Amino acid sequence: MELSIVQIILVALIAGIYRFDRIGTQINGHNCVLWATLAGLVIGDPFTGMQIGATCMLMSLGVAALGGSSVPDYIMAAIVGTVVTVTTGQDMSVGLTIGIAVGLLWVQIDVIVKTLNIFMAHKQLDFAHKGNYGMMKAVTWIGPVLFCVGEMLPVLIVMLIGGDAVNAVLNAMPAWFTGGLSIAGGILPVVGMAMLLNYMPVKQFFSFVVIGFVLSAYLGLGILPIAMLAGAAAYEYYKSHAAAPAAAAQTSEGVLEDE
Amino acid sequence: MSNETLSSQTEPEIKVGPNPDGSFDPVLTDKDLEKCGRRWKMAVMGFNYETQLAPSVIFAEADALRKIYADDEEGYKRSLENAGRYFNVTPPVGGLLLGAALAIEDKQHNQGLEAVNDLKVGLMGSMSGIGDSILWTLVPTVMGSIAAYMAQEGNPVGIFLWLAVGLVIFWWSLNNWKTGYKFGTSLITTLADKIPVFTEAMSVLGLTVVGALIPSVVSITVGLTFTMGDVTLNFQEGILDMIMLGIMPVLATWIVYVLIKRRVNLIAIIVAIIVISMVCSAFGILV
Repeated sequence: MELSIVQIILVALIAGIYRFDRIGTQINGHNCVLWATLAGLVIGDPFTGMQIGATCMLMSLGVAALGGSSVPDYIMAAIVGTVVTVTTGQDMSVGLTIGIAVGLLWVQIDVIVKTLNIFMAHKQLDFAHKGNYGMMKAVTWIGPVLFCVGEMLPVLIVMLIGGDAVNAVLNAMPAWFTGGLSIAGGILPVVGMAMLLNYMPVKQFFSFVVIGFVLSAYLGLGILPIAMLAGAAAYEYYKSHAAAPAAAAQTSEGVLEDE
Repeated sequence: MSNETLSSQTEPEIKVGPNPDGSFDPVLTDKDLEKCGRRWKMAVMGFNYETQLAPSVIFAEADALRKIYADDEEGYKRSLENAGRYFNVTPPVGGLLLGAALAIEDKQHNQGLEAVNDLKVGLMGSMSGIGDSILWTLVPTVMGSIAAYMAQEGNPVGIFLWLAVGLVIFWWSLNNWKTGYKFGTSLITTLADKIPVFTEAMSVLGLTVVGALIPSVVSITVGLTFTMGDVTLNFQEGILDMIMLGIMPVLATWIVYVLIKRRVNLIAIIVAIIVISMVCSAFGILV
C-alpha cells in the first residue's frame, strides 16, 4: 500500500510532536505504544502500530537519556517500523529491522543538534547584551526546531522512498538476517535493565533484585502486583530510615551517577 | 561559584534596595510564576554541550526577571548573564529549584546573584537524582511494561493509564515554580536532607521491579538439542530451566551490566547484540 501525501505529512507531524513532548512538555514522551499506535491510526492500521510499539517499548525499558547523554530512539524505531510493516505488507519483525536501524541513527542526530545549540546559546546571550530581548527569547526556538526536524527527516525519508523500494531491499535480505533481528528483539531489553542496574545501588539492595526475580520467574506474578509489593517495601524502608537521616546520608553518594 | 570578571566589572553599579537591609519589595505574582512554569517547558530542547539547559532557563525566566528589574537595565542584563550559566536538572522537578532561586532574586536583585547561582549549582545534582530516578526511569519502566504487555494482547488501556499519570505529573510541574518560590530555600534544603532516604526507598522499589522485569521482558531461548542413544535432550528445557528459570536473561544482563560499568559505548553493545543474534540464528543456536 502507498501512503497519501496527507498521511505522510501527518506521520511526520506525529514524529515531530513526539520529539517536542519527549524533551519539552514531557507528558508522555517515553510512551512508545502511544506514538506508534497514533502513527498506525493515520496509515490505517493502529493494531500493527500497537504491537510494534509494545515490542519497541520492551526494548527501551530503562533506557533513559540522563544527564544529557544520547540514547537510541526506540519511538522513532516504532514509528518507522509501523510505517514499513503496513506499507510493505511484510511481517512485523521485518518492519522492525528497518525501524531499529533508523532509531539507532538518532544518537548521531542528537549529538549534532546539541552541538548546533551551542551557537543558539551564544546568540541568545549576544542579544541579551545588545538589549534586544525579543530576539533573545525568539532565538531559543532554534532548539526545538532543530530537534523536531532531526526527528522528522529520517521518518519522512523512509516514507518518501516508498513501499516498493523498501520491499525490494527487504526481499534481498537472507533469512538469518531477519531471524537474527527478531532474536535480538528479545535480547535487547537487557540493555535497559543493565543501565537501570548501573544507575541504582544494586550492591546495597541486591536482595530486592532477587525477590523481584523470584516473584516474576517462579511465581509468575505480573509487573503491577510486583510493583505494588515493591512499593510497600519501599514505604517501610522510608519509614524506618527517615528518622535517622544522618546515618543514611553516608550512603547517599553513588545512588545516581548521571551528572 | 564566584565570577571574578563579572563582579569586578559591575560591582560599582549594583543597585541597593529601599529597605533598611538593602533588599527590595518582591514583585512577582502567582501569574508570573505560572508563566515561568509554562515557558520552562522549553526544557531539554534548549540543551547544548556548553551550558546545557541554560538557554531554557533564560527563556523561562526572561519575563519574570524583566518585571523584577523593571527600571534597572544593567541589572537585568547581569541577571540574564547569570541565568545563562551552566545548569542542568530533570526539567519537571527543576521548577522547585528555579522558583526558590527567583524568590532570592526578587528580594535581593543583583546582590543575590551569587546566592542564586550557588543554590542552583549546589542542588541541581540531588534534585536530578530524585527526578531522574522517579520521573525518567521508574515511571516509564513500570508504566511502560504495563502498557506494552496490555498492548501485546491488543488492549490499549495501558496506553491511557500511562497518559493519565503523565498528565498529572505535567500539571504538577507547571505549578511547582509557585511552590519553590513560596517556600523558598527552606523547602529545598529540608527536601535535600530527605532526598537520600527517599532515593534509597525508590531504589528498593526500582530494583525489585528490575529483578521482576529481567526474566519477563528479556527472552533468550537456546534451540540446541542433544541426542544420546534414543533420548533427545532439549538444552533449554532439559538443562537450563532445571538449573534456574531465566538463567540466560540473568547472564546476558550481567554481561551488559559489566560492559556498561566499564563505559563500553552503548551503540557498540546494541550492534554487538544484533550481530551475535544473527550468527546464532544462522547456526540455530538461539531460536
